[in-house]
Amino acid sequence: MAATTKIYTQDSIRRRKMLLPLMLVLLLIVVPFLQKTIDPTAEEYHKGEKSLVTAGMGLNNEFLLLPMLGFREAAAGLLWVRCDEFFHSGDYDAILPLVRLITWLDPHADNVYVTGAWHLSYNFTDSSERSDRRYIPPAMRLLDEGIQNNMNIPDIKFEKGWQLYDKVKDFNGAEDAFKLALATKPSKNSDDYPYGAPLRIWHTLAHAYEKQGRIPEALATWQKAMQRAHEMLGRNPKDYSTKQLLAAEKHNYELTLQRYQDRYQTSGHDHTNPTPYPAVLMPAAGSKTLGPWDGSFEPHVEITRPKVFKVSGRFAVADGARVDVRIEDEDYKPIDVSNARDAFNIPLDQTILVDTVSVRKTRFEREMDMSRDAKMYSFSKPYLKVILSYNPRTTSPHLQDRFGWSGEGLTDRNPNYVYYDKRPELLGTKLIEGQQGDGPKWDGKDETWRQGGRRPEGSTEEWKPGGQPPRLIKVTYRVKAEDVLNGGKVLTDKDIVPND
Amino acid sequence: MVALAIANQTVREALRRRVMWIFLIIGVFLIALGPVFGFLNPRDSQVVLKSLGLAAILLAGLFITIVTCIYLIPIEIERRTIYTVLSKPVQRYEFVLGKFLGGFATVFVNIAAMGVVFLAMLWLQTPGHHVPPDMFKGIMLTFFQMLLLAALTIFFSTFATPVVNFFLSFGIFLVGNLSSVTDSLTTSRNAIARGVGTLVHYLLPNFGNFNIQNSIIHPQIEIANANAFMMQSIAYALIYSAVLLILAILIFDRREV
Amino acid sequence: MAAAISIHGLTKKYVDVWQKQEVVAVNNLNLDVEEGEIFGFLGRNGAGKTTTIKMLLGLIFPTAGDATILGRPMGDNNVKRELAYLPEETYFYDSMTGWDLLDFYARLFRIPEPERSRRVQLALEKVRLQPEAWKRSVRGYSKGMRQRIGIAQALINDPKLLFLDEPTSGLDPIAHAELRDIVASLKEEGKTVFLSSHQLADVELICSRVAIIHNGKLLRTGKIKDLLAGERTEIIVQGRELGNGMLQKLKDLVPVVEPIYDHTEADDALGGVPTDMLRLSSDDFEKTTAVIDLVRGVKGRIVSIVPHKRTLEDVFVETVRKEDGV
Repeated sequence: MAATTKIYTQDSIRRRKMLLPLMLVLLLIVVPFLQKTIDPTAEEYHKGEKSLVTAGMGLNNEFLLLPMLGFREAAAGLLWVRCDEFFHSGDYDAILPLVRLITWLDPHADNVYVTGAWHLSYNFTDSSERSDRRYIPPAMRLLDEGIQNNMNIPDIKFEKGWQLYDKVKDFNGAEDAFKLALATKPSKNSDDYPYGAPLRIWHTLAHAYEKQGRIPEALATWQKAMQRAHEMLGRNPKDYSTKQLLAAEKHNYELTLQRYQDRYQTSGHDHTNPTPYPAVLMPAAGSKTLGPWDGSFEPHVEITRPKVFKVSGRFAVADGARVDVRIEDEDYKPIDVSNARDAFNIPLDQTILVDTVSVRKTRFEREMDMSRDAKMYSFSKPYLKVILSYNPRTTSPHLQDRFGWSGEGLTDRNPNYVYYDKRPELLGTKLIEGQQGDGPKWDGKDETWRQGGRRPEGSTEEWKPGGQPPRLIKVTYRVKAEDVLNGGKVLTDKDIVPND
Repeated sequence: MVALAIANQTVREALRRRVMWIFLIIGVFLIALGPVFGFLNPRDSQVVLKSLGLAAILLAGLFITIVTCIYLIPIEIERRTIYTVLSKPVQRYEFVLGKFLGGFATVFVNIAAMGVVFLAMLWLQTPGHHVPPDMFKGIMLTFFQMLLLAALTIFFSTFATPVVNFFLSFGIFLVGNLSSVTDSLTTSRNAIARGVGTLVHYLLPNFGNFNIQNSIIHPQIEIANANAFMMQSIAYALIYSAVLLILAILIFDRREV
Repeated sequence: MAAAISIHGLTKKYVDVWQKQEVVAVNNLNLDVEEGEIFGFLGRNGAGKTTTIKMLLGLIFPTAGDATILGRPMGDNNVKRELAYLPEETYFYDSMTGWDLLDFYARLFRIPEPERSRRVQLALEKVRLQPEAWKRSVRGYSKGMRQRIGIAQALINDPKLLFLDEPTSGLDPIAHAELRDIVASLKEEGKTVFLSSHQLADVELICSRVAIIHNGKLLRTGKIKDLLAGERTEIIVQGRELGNGMLQKLKDLVPVVEPIYDHTEADDALGGVPTDMLRLSSDDFEKTTAVIDLVRGVKGRIVSIVPHKRTLEDVFVETVRKEDGV
């Protein structure tokens, strides 16, 4: 009997001694490679999700527990309900961190991005209900993040477009956002299938074109919208909401076409006037002079009390015109929000006020009291700018009938007040030569909606976007913060600096 | 054959454990509660229903897997029943395999039960009685995630006590769920962070791979390689489970019972 | 007869990692168990009985030494087909019925149906478990019933060699006797039983050979017959004359001669007052007769003559105490 010592005498062990470790090594080699294959798609799945370590930092225990247990969306939902309570109680500051957390927990909660950004853009105001503009970059940052995480839905893109249109008055940016929304890939899960976005976004896009003075494109967009509405009604003739939209499209298309004809192509509908801007060149009521109308802008800005501005003056245009007022730091620039975590940290030392004053019987006057909102208006920079301006692109239609969409029919006796905003993205409908326009001479023969500054399809020749920059009436004052803080100062022509 | 007999016995034993039923009932209860919480997302109550359902399956599945698998081997040793089994012509690997299969079959039955309740709930609550196929995927990936967890728990149970095992398995499950963090660490500039991240990401069981709930409950999210991803994730679960089971067998072969 | 179990220098040491102490559970054990015998493996709690059995079954691994079981190295999986093991105080899977439990164990031997059901029924009948309990869950079984199931699972494969660890401990007298008889009957079927026990009366009754293990060391091994050899007779004599020269004579004759003390309450503290009685112990009939003659010769009185049979307990206690130096 061999009495050798064996620690593990089981047959099975002897047999597996080699096989199992070999298999183990082979499989272990496979694992990292497989993981590497999985990673890109996993990243796509987890896009925008913040880990609980990050998202959990601001959570109370009861809320932290839920996402930890896997109920990310439920936690997000509960937080959202709490947000709603804060909306009702007016505790607006409390909402922001919650919005941040919810979108980290559930990066596909589209309505949270939308509502959160709306809240940022609209709900923070001074005591005269003027929005705190410092919140707009964070709002845009939040929307961009939402768009990044939800490329497959048009909702957040549309919201961005709408806020740029309605709040920021950046119609070009709005146009881009609406186009992005319209380019959304159609999804079978969406009500809009086989389209990527709802019909109404074509409407807002058309309006955005119109506000940029790019009427041919606006008209083309209305046509596209009508075409799509017809397609949709072809599939479902009882789709009453589309029927209503189609009716609006027809009305808007016809109205815009009418205005385009009236403002730029004909005078009094007689189709006889050969000049490019017949309406513009017609003498206005009470005047016999042909040519652009002289607004005779006479602004008067006074710091009546510390931090209180009185903006008044004369502007010889019809009632309904509004003079835009901006009071901002001399070096004001919207902050660049690049870090998601600092998204809601607004620059507290920034001062900006945006308001309008309406013109009645050629006069305007408004007091802007910035003394009651020290949190919003810190006046911590040495100099401020006070900008008074009138923009024909945002003015009401009856004034646009007189001045054109880009102010072609408006001027001022003080040439320093006439300001062309020549940023290329603001070029509107073509302007004739000799009128500060860069475009070719208007010949009136082009098909109207092919114009508007696009390279003709298939064309290879050197091409410059032609078009009309908006012509504004604009005055910029430079004022010492010290004077604002002390009060009792009237701004004079000496305080006027060139517009930029 | 022997492993199957052991698995069969294990399932019968496990299904009689009260604590498992408690978790199952909690899970089903949470799923059934889904429609009540529709108010959390007024624009799309389906999102809450789906989220709650998938999370409930994951959560109940997680606890059922851990409490089931953690005891399978230690309780045999404690009650000495393992002596009556291993003194019969049963190889130790057959025993480990049988216990794993039994534990996993138990988990499967539970997840399947919750899955059926969840899909039925969804079917009832969805206009037009349409159940999105993504939900099957969600349940399936949870199921394979639990397979991996079961293998991990069985592996630890060959040398750790149930209490230690609970914390080890749960801890690794949590770390493994941070895969999006570890993934970003693999490209970190800090060498130590990169090293640790790479190690954790590629070597520890990557449970985060299976968490696609957030993306699939939002119908608008479309993933390009969704089907390939499913297959890869399942392959990952199977291969990594095999690794853990081989380790478990190698350790258990040397374990004195 | 061939050896069913042959153990050579089997040793198991445990090292306490924290205390750096070495505990020797089984120390260089050499033992042979013949085929067809019921072998009693005796020892106190913690003597190393269970450790030895677990090593033989491959449940734990020896530090040194070797053993063959039914001619094959221990731990060999194939030899396990011929083995059975009833561990001490097993709970079994108590949610299963008695029948299902045995069916499960039969599956581990890969016994196919219908043979499996036949074996299960046979085993249940053999251990005399009432048929109405077969389909009840083991949870509701009494201790005696559990022990019967335990033996039944050991019999399921019709083994050649059974390791039974305390099969009769903690049972009521009737169940105890029944189970003991069942174990005894195994011998008639030609099975070898390795019975670990400290129920010495049982062992004495049914075992042919025993081994005594203490602190991991094998102290004694042999046939019961041989260990119990040497009947002893206790004689109590009385007489005034016995104290003098007679005492030496008696001591020369028999090994044990001791005075009997009268333990009254008052004297107790002093160890009692010597009486005129002596207790003698004789291990030989001739000597006994000689003692009687001697006592009668001096007009002493024979108070009692009680023949004492040696029990295994005597042997065990004697052996263990001797080892411990008590």
